[in-house]
Amino acid sequence: MRCEYMLRVAVLGANGFIGSRTVEMLHLGGLAEVRPVVRSVARLARLARFDLDCRIADGFDQTALSAAFRGCDVVVHAIAGDSRTIVGTLAPAYRAAQEAGVQRFIYLSTASVHGQMPAPGTDERSLLHDRQPLPYSNAKVRAERTLHRLRCQGSVELVLLRPGIVFGPRSFWVTSFVEALLSGQAYVVNDGRGICNSTYVDNLIHALYLAMKTPGIDREAFLVGDKERVTWAEFYQPFAEAFGYDLSALHSVPPYMLTWQDRLEAICTSHPVQTLLSLFPRKARRILWAALMAGKDSPPVSSPWEVPEVPVPRATLEMSLLHQCGYKLPSDKAKKRLGYEPIVSFAEGCRRTIAWLAFVGYPVVRSSSGLNGRPFPTAVQETAHD
Amino acid sequence: MRTDLQPVKIVLVGCGAVSTLYYAPALQVLQRSGTLQVVALFDPSPESVTRLNRVFPQAICLQNLDQLSHSGAELAIIASPPRYHAEQTIRALEAGLAVLCEKPMALTVAEGRAMIATAESASRVLAVGLLRRFFPATRTIRDILAHGLLGDVMAFSFCEGSDFRWPVVSPDFFRKGGSHGGILLDIGVHVLDLMLWWWGQPDEIVYEDDAMGGIEANCRLWLRFPQGFQGEVRLSREWSLPNQYLIQGTRGWVRWEVNEADKVQIGFAGSRYRLNAELYEDDDKRPAFPRPAANFHRSFLDQLRNVVAAVRGHEPLFVSGVDGLQSLALIEHCYRHRTFMSMPWLSDREYQRAGQLNAL
Repeated sequence: MRCEYMLRVAVLGANGFIGSRTVEMLHLGGLAEVRPVVRSVARLARLARFDLDCRIADGFDQTALSAAFRGCDVVVHAIAGDSRTIVGTLAPAYRAAQEAGVQRFIYLSTASVHGQMPAPGTDERSLLHDRQPLPYSNAKVRAERTLHRLRCQGSVELVLLRPGIVFGPRSFWVTSFVEALLSGQAYVVNDGRGICNSTYVDNLIHALYLAMKTPGIDREAFLVGDKERVTWAEFYQPFAEAFGYDLSALHSVPPYMLTWQDRLEAICTSHPVQTLLSLFPRKARRILWAALMAGKDSPPVSSPWEVPEVPVPRATLEMSLLHQCGYKLPSDKAKKRLGYEPIVSFAEGCRRTIAWLAFVGYPVVRSSSGLNGRPFPTAVQETAHD
Repeated sequence: MRTDLQPVKIVLVGCGAVSTLYYAPALQVLQRSGTLQVVALFDPSPESVTRLNRVFPQAICLQNLDQLSHSGAELAIIASPPRYHAEQTIRALEAGLAVLCEKPMALTVAEGRAMIATAESASRVLAVGLLRRFFPATRTIRDILAHGLLGDVMAFSFCEGSDFRWPVVSPDFFRKGGSHGGILLDIGVHVLDLMLWWWGQPDEIVYEDDAMGGIEANCRLWLRFPQGFQGEVRLSREWSLPNQYLIQGTRGWVRWEVNEADKVQIGFAGSRYRLNAELYEDDDKRPAFPRPAANFHRSFLDQLRNVVAAVRGHEPLFVSGVDGLQSLALIEHCYRHRTFMSMPWLSDREYQRAGQLNAL
């Protein structure tokens, strides 16, 4: 696939965090002729900044996808969503790529297919299984398997990228931490000593670009990460500082513990139990459900003498596992086969992300912005106490 | 029977999202109360017309706008995509109808002027759907400013932003050729209209946006007013911003959360506390039992009632075409003098290319 002419690339899920930056980087960098594909007209709001040939196609609609992909060399699948969306959009998208004569299908998978706490020595050759604690990881494992099956039936080349914690402007990892920080709910497990397998978004898209062009990588998967080995405390540090917080002031919480109510709820909401319940009349279902959930936490009765307190956060299962990760996933295969080298350092990635936070109105107090030649103006603050 | 007591007969031109979500339920309420009657519908999409025809089964469906003069309608509500506003408004006025045109009233000042000239020569009402002027909160802020309750205004900051969710159907809405502008020409019309209504014309404007060959999703304005203060407007279609208007004066501040039609917050310099105020009608006859002020939806009804009353000659029109033209002129000025927003996550190479595209 090494070619001199400009690649024509359809980006499916082009309005999302990674999808929209992919469009931005490929288009502004003059790297490819980009065709964003989104599921509804309203999803074009961000992409409409460019004069591009945007298409509307639902990820489950093979006919619409086929029309959207026609004339493209590469399809990048960057659709995010629940387990149904993760797995269910693959067959329509791959078959549509086949119909449209696309040469390569690149799937944005995740390092989470190896779990949130991968064992030392884990790499792309490690066996995957779908009995992990998080439904997301299992869905991504099933997604990779589905794509390999589709590849056996079709002729469109398949490449899988497995980035770690992808951060950057518009990243959930960053905004959720900042919002928790501002509301006094930010926390670390294990004092933040666990490894954060960070991937600055531009590094991932650089790997994506290399995966579009590099020949002889059909059916291969690649772990993609930043160069630096970063702990979760080090990952959070620059963002906490930017908002004037001391990282040591974060809640240090114990790892996630499954309570008996959580276990009960997991059983009750599981597919077999829900199927069984559906056989009962609605009224009986409601009574049964109420009985099962009777022990769930009920809101505490407040007293007029009580001084309101900020609740102490409780670690989620996902963050608990991530914060205890002890292994930096290698990008060696990507380096060797794709020629991948991260193009943005972790520190620079943080700096750009913090500058973006200021751009969209978060109350950043320390930003080394003024990037691209313009300082940020000072916003008006209410001064009721002055 | 006196015709001025009869329900005003309405034709709804454009049966898309704004008509389905807002006009249809509002018109139903006012039809039930005998204020108006929907007699005709028009939209080039048969599905859209059929959907609203189920709501107004007595209304006839026009095949084209040539049928306007025979529809029996006295008032046309133009709720089609903005690129059709000028043409459809002028045709309705020429057919002898009054017009309530959704915002933005037109894509250009020249179009807006042509609409106003047609209304004047036809002696017909031309109203513009700048709904926020009907909110009790924005009227209260106007009163607060007019009475100097904040002291001298020192600065202001108006922010509106969210992930775009409006159920648009046509991709033309996001094409430069189809819509002429992005968020400034959309939400910006409301923001600038309120600002002009409260303070009049600014004497200095700096505008920047992030369009790179297309239409902007983000923009920012800095404005200086002859009264001696300045402030900032920040709008986004792609990210949630603090959706609030904040005006700082020497004696205190007022804050309004966007679309909270009946609430304002007020703080006073030196005070530990702030007022989180719900607004009530000031009714001298029933001081012990005040009625809550209109919320968003009731403000929408108030807008329609005012236009209907103006058509009947019972009330002055609250927001005219001339009023609508003011914000449009400011927007046109901004686009003409646009500069490129700093986008700190772009590499230098990308930023350079982006700047070239913005200048196109």
